[in-house]
Amino acid sequence: MYQNRSEGQTSDEAMLVQKAIGHDTEAFGRLYDMHVDRVYRHIYYRVGNEADAEDLTQQVFLKAWQVIDRYKKTASPFIAWLMTISHNLVVDFYRTRKDRAYLEAEVLADGSASSPERAAEASFEQQRLRKAILQLRSDEQQVVILRFMEGFEFTEIASLLKKKKGNVRVILHRALVKLRNILEKERKQN
Amino acid sequence: MKKFEDILVQCIEDIKAGRSSIEDCLDRHPSMREQLEPLLRIALEIREAPDVKPSPAFKIKARVRLMEQIHGRQAVTKWPWSRYNNQTKTIPLRKRFSMVGVILAIVLTLSAVGGGTAYAAQGSLPGDVLYSVKLVTEQLRMMLPGNDVARAQRALSFAERRVGEMEALAEKGRPQYLGLAVGGYDDAVNMTLARIERAGDKGLATGNVTARVAEATTRHLSVLDTVYDMVPPEAKEAIAHARNVSETGYFHAMAALAKNNTVRAAEMNLAAMLGRLNRVRARVGDVEAVENALQQFEAMAEFGEEISRIAQEIGLNITKVEELVALATSKHLEELAEVWEMVPKQARPAIERAMANLLIRHQRRVQALEQWGVEAPQPPVIPGRIRERVEERIREQVEGIPGGTTPPTPGVPAGACHQYGLNATGEM
Repeated sequence: MYQNRSEGQTSDEAMLVQKAIGHDTEAFGRLYDMHVDRVYRHIYYRVGNEADAEDLTQQVFLKAWQVIDRYKKTASPFIAWLMTISHNLVVDFYRTRKDRAYLEAEVLADGSASSPERAAEASFEQQRLRKAILQLRSDEQQVVILRFMEGFEFTEIASLLKKKKGNVRVILHRALVKLRNILEKERKQN
Repeated sequence: MKKFEDILVQCIEDIKAGRSSIEDCLDRHPSMREQLEPLLRIALEIREAPDVKPSPAFKIKARVRLMEQIHGRQAVTKWPWSRYNNQTKTIPLRKRFSMVGVILAIVLTLSAVGGGTAYAAQGSLPGDVLYSVKLVTEQLRMMLPGNDVARAQRALSFAERRVGEMEALAEKGRPQYLGLAVGGYDDAVNMTLARIERAGDKGLATGNVTARVAEATTRHLSVLDTVYDMVPPEAKEAIAHARNVSETGYFHAMAALAKNNTVRAAEMNLAAMLGRLNRVRARVGDVEAVENALQQFEAMAEFGEEISRIAQEIGLNITKVEELVALATSKHLEELAEVWEMVPKQARPAIERAMANLLIRHQRRVQALEQWGVEAPQPPVIPGRIRERVEERIREQVEGIPGGTTPPTPGVPAGACHQYGLNATGEM
C-alpha cells in the first residue's frame, strides 16, 4: 500500500515542492492532489469518523501552506512532513476536547457505523489494536503509526521527530510494552 | 553487547523484510526470548492503515476552499489580477498614481506599436511574439470600470480564450507551450470564482454569471478531453491539470447556482453527467479514459445530492429536482448498461459501481417522492448478466466491503439488496 516513502521524492514532486516554497499556489495545488488521500487516511485512522477527518485534512494543507518556508529546513520527504502536521493537529483536536470518553466512543462507534467507518475496520483484532494504540502517549503513537502503518524508516522518523535514532527505538520499545499491557488488561477484564 | 531495543528493532526489520521468522529471531537471542516474543507478535500484528479514501466531492470542495484561503492570505501573489484587485483598496494614493503611470505607459506603448498590432495580437498563441501583448491587453481590460459581476464575466472570457489556445496548440503540434495556456486558464477560472464570491458578498445578483461559468466549464471539459487525446504523452499531465481546474470551477459555480436556482443547477448537472457518459462512449476501448470519465460522472452524481441538500437547507421545495433526477437516472442507467457491453473487461467494475450507486440513490429518491405523493419513474430493465454484477456491487456497498473507487454510500440499510429494484426474477 505504501509506495513512495523512503525512495524519496520523485523529481517532479521535488520540483513542485521547490515551487511551492517560492509561494507558487499552482504547485501547492498539485501537491494537494498528490497527497490528500494519504493524509486523509492517516487522520481518519486517528479520529475514526469522516466529518472530523475531512475537517482536519483541510486544516493540514492550510497549515502546510502557512509554514511551507520551514519545510526546506527538514530533510524528510514532503509526505512525512505533512504527516507530522497531521499528527500535531490530531493531538490538538483531542486536547481541545479533553475527554478521553470522546475518543473511546468514536473508536467503538466504528463497529456499528456504515460508510467508510465500516470499511475502515478490517477485523475485530485490528480494532482492538487501534483502540490500544490511541491510548499511547502522543510520541509513542506517532512512532508506531509512522513505522508500522505508514512504512517510514527509523531514520526518517528520527528526522521528523527531531530525535536520535536510538531514542526512537527506545520510544518504540516502550510503546510495544505498553500495548502489551493494555491488551492483556483488556483480555483479563473480558 | 547490544541493547534490548536495538535487538527488538533489528528483529522487527528482519521479519518484515522476510529475512527471518519470529522463531529464527528468538533462537538468535535465547536469553531474551520471553521478553522479545510478545513484543514481536504485537509489532507484527499492527498492519497498514485500511485504505479509506475521501470522497471525490470532498476533495474538490476542499481544494477550492484551500485555494481561496491561500489567495486570500497571500502577501505576494503570482496571480496578477488579484494583486491589482487588492491594491485598489489598500495602497496609498501616491502609489496609486504611480500605478496609473504604469497603465498609461502600457497604453502608450500599445499605441506606439499601433492598434493594428494589438488587434493582431488577439489571435496569437503562447510562444508567439505578440502573445505577451495579448495578455497585457487582457490585464488592462480587467482594470476597466465595472462591478464584480462584469469583471467575473471578463475573466471567464479569458478562460475561454485559454481553452481555445490549448486546442489550437494541440492542433498545430506545439505542445511545448501548453503549460502557459494551462497556467493562464487556472488563473482566469480562479479569478472568475473570486469575483463571483465577492459580488455575492456585496449582494449583487450572481445567478446568471454562475450559470454561465457552469455551462462554460462543462464545455471546457469536453474540449479538454479532445485536447488530451491529441497531445503527446509528456503534455497530458498539463491537460489533466486543466481538466481538474474545469471540474473545480464547475462544482464551485454549481454550488452557488444551487442556492439561486436549484432546478437549473440540477438540470445542468444532469446534462454534464450525460456529457461524461458521452465521453465514455467516445473512448469505449480506452480503459483509462473510461475510468476517468466515470470518476467525473460519479463526482457529479454525488454533487447532485449536494444540490438537493443545499436546496433543503435554505427551505426550497425539491420535489421538482428529485423528479428530474429520478427521470435522468433511468436514462443514465440505460446508457451505462449499453456501454458495459462495449468496454474492455477491466473497465466493467467501474461501470458496475457507478450503476450500483445510481440505483441506491434512485431507490431513496423514489421512496421520498412516494411520500410526497408523486408518482416515481420506473428504473429501466437491465439485462441479466449486468444485473448480477450490479447486485454484487450493491451487496459490497451494503456490507461495506472496501475496494470500490468510491466509498460506500452512507445510510444504506443492511441486507437490502433487492430493495434497490433488483430481484431474483430478473426484473428491475
